[in-house]
Amino acid sequence: MHTRSAILLAVALSLPGSAGVAQMSRATLVKQSDIIFIGTVTQVGAVAVPEVPASPRTVVVRVDQVLEKPSAVALAPGDSVTVETGRPGSLKAGTQATFYTTGWIFGRGVAVREVGHEPGRSPVVAADERDAVARARHEVNDADLKAHIQRAAMVVAGRVEQVRPAELAAAPARPKRISEHDPDWQEAIIQVEDGIKGAQAGERVVVRFPGSHDVAWVGTPKFAVGQEGTFLLHKDSTTGSPLTMIAGRLVPAYTALHKVDVLSKQDATRVRALIRKP
Amino acid sequence: MRARVIAVGVALCIACKGPELPKPPAKVAGAQVVDLIPVSLSGETWQDAEPFLALYPSNPRLMAASAFTPNPGGSASATAPIFVSDDGGDSWTLRNTVPSQTMTADITHAVGGNPPMLYAGILKVPDFPLNELKANDFLSPATMTLQGFRADIDQPFVRTTAVGNADRVYVGLNDFDAPDGRTATVDVSLNGGTTYAPRRIETRNTAGQNGPSIRPAVAQDHTVYVAYFGWRSNAGSDVTSDVVVVRDDSGATGTTPFRDLVDPSDHLPGRLVATHVTIPWSNAPTLGQERIGSTLSIAVDALHSDNVYLAWADRVGTGDIYTVHVRRSTDRGATWSGDLRTLTNATDASLAVSTNGTVGLLYQQVTGSAGASRWVTRLEQSRDGFATHQDVVLATVPATTPPFQFLPYIGDYNCLTTRGNQFLGIFSANNTPDSANFPQGVVYQRRVDFPTHRLVDGSGTPVAVSIDPFFFSVPVLP
Repeated sequence: MHTRSAILLAVALSLPGSAGVAQMSRATLVKQSDIIFIGTVTQVGAVAVPEVPASPRTVVVRVDQVLEKPSAVALAPGDSVTVETGRPGSLKAGTQATFYTTGWIFGRGVAVREVGHEPGRSPVVAADERDAVARARHEVNDADLKAHIQRAAMVVAGRVEQVRPAELAAAPARPKRISEHDPDWQEAIIQVEDGIKGAQAGERVVVRFPGSHDVAWVGTPKFAVGQEGTFLLHKDSTTGSPLTMIAGRLVPAYTALHKVDVLSKQDATRVRALIRKP
Repeated sequence: MRARVIAVGVALCIACKGPELPKPPAKVAGAQVVDLIPVSLSGETWQDAEPFLALYPSNPRLMAASAFTPNPGGSASATAPIFVSDDGGDSWTLRNTVPSQTMTADITHAVGGNPPMLYAGILKVPDFPLNELKANDFLSPATMTLQGFRADIDQPFVRTTAVGNADRVYVGLNDFDAPDGRTATVDVSLNGGTTYAPRRIETRNTAGQNGPSIRPAVAQDHTVYVAYFGWRSNAGSDVTSDVVVVRDDSGATGTTPFRDLVDPSDHLPGRLVATHVTIPWSNAPTLGQERIGSTLSIAVDALHSDNVYLAWADRVGTGDIYTVHVRRSTDRGATWSGDLRTLTNATDASLAVSTNGTVGLLYQQVTGSAGASRWVTRLEQSRDGFATHQDVVLATVPATTPPFQFLPYIGDYNCLTTRGNQFLGIFSANNTPDSANFPQGVVYQRRVDFPTHRLVDGSGTPVAVSIDPFFFSVPVLP
């Protein structure tokens, strides 16, 4: 309840582009942000490094505490960050706030675009703020996963028992093309051990996935014999050949192309909980 | 004489008897190598392959570069980055201005006549449609503007030239929706990308399609050459191909362009520079963890359009994996030399011709074997058709580390250009901060610890070795 109440409680936030203070949940801010930090505005209408164009909307913020950032980004307390605010004059020198931002320009320093900011967060409460952001991120991830579950035609926990090349029905008048981006469709046959949605234990389902290592398919889940997991499966609307054969029967083919579609076997419990969650 | 390598000298050296310690590659005065990853992304570990570079002839300080570098914001990001420099390549920043989810699946670009305009051709993520893009100011953080798009395209390759106040844009691409399997196409815009017309350049029967690489090159007198692979048949993973060059003498402004160079054998447009070569098509780690199958480059002497150079790679069949060939024409593509250079187990050949007629050849070659193998990146320059040449080793790095994250490992292509008295280019390589790996020296923007040969992040924590893009400049032979 603590987490939910923390997230659902709308907090007063200054929103970029808005005329004044509006209501926006922290979870919404977190969802749209990839760099979140507590900082203090040191200059208005200025930039921290010359490669960033100064404007009335840019402010320089000294980082007091980093709450979230991609691992590639070098950002630490004491760094000066250029923030492009939503509107000029929305922040004054000396203002301390939690900044919800996205990366903008990366050079000798970091420049970010403001999604929103939450004023008045002192570094002394940084731990609380970090916990609040972490809870919001957890909530965002759960909401994202729940949406994926709802869109999935089938959710199963099981084990990959076979991987084979996909034999796709040829599209009429469309010869096969040779390209380095060819997905090289493969089929994983999954033995269902736990039918969480739309399937029953003991079933075997066919999941198509790109076997290609090409850059176009980087990050797309791959399957291997013996792999166990919880799988969010979608009816195949990608290959142009929605059916496949298994044990001499024509059956629907599925795909799991998003990284969220392939979870650990232990995630089945979390998935069930999210399905039950209103 | 600096580091000039004379072919005869090399042959004599090879003939020497007795063991001889390999000499370290020579350092060339004025050469520069710069890792593009900025200090604010010191924790970056991605495989930044397939780099590309665009220069502004009228402003030597401005440059744009790209690679398979993701938006640092992660997979939900709606834009992909380009790198920009406003100090002649000494430093670079990353800006998320390309409208593609996190990264592109292909990207090349070229400049407009009025700096700082930039044109790009990308395969957009997701679904990989061609997007032809324009930025009126590539230094601006504004997202590039979409000018043209369509599906079923591969390897857009952008070249530009300015005519009066209008930029002409030539995007070589493999258009799978072209009729009769003659997929080699150039999208031509004569109005700064406002409209594009697809121009089919293959006039012969194919094996169902052409190879992915369709490479335009433009001279100042508006002669446009385009090189492509005329795939004629395929068996297993081997493609039998012609290497073809077409030419248009008036900037492809007519309705049936690229018909000005006819082959004497069949009187069809498109000079057959090499016929029935074997292209090993391997979309798997094959050469130093890299895939192979579509290495092609063409460069014209911008001031003397009679002179044109061509490089491609095929399998000769003498135990090689992949061999680069370089040829030259001095009569507008009518006749061609034999191989001026033959480079075994090399790829990513990229050619450029400087204003004094010196040709530059950038390539990346695997040397050694197994765990001792290395990717060696070289720039060769010649003023006499490669009878002699200067050989500059830009990088020599382990070929087995880091393990590939995806393909291409270092790129299906890299980029060499020229401006004034410099060759400027970009390549991707293992980023271990070891001076021995970069004989011309190297400048890192990201945090490194040279004594321990380690990359470190913003907090000083060691970072895994990865593939980074490296900009370089080398003085043109006088």
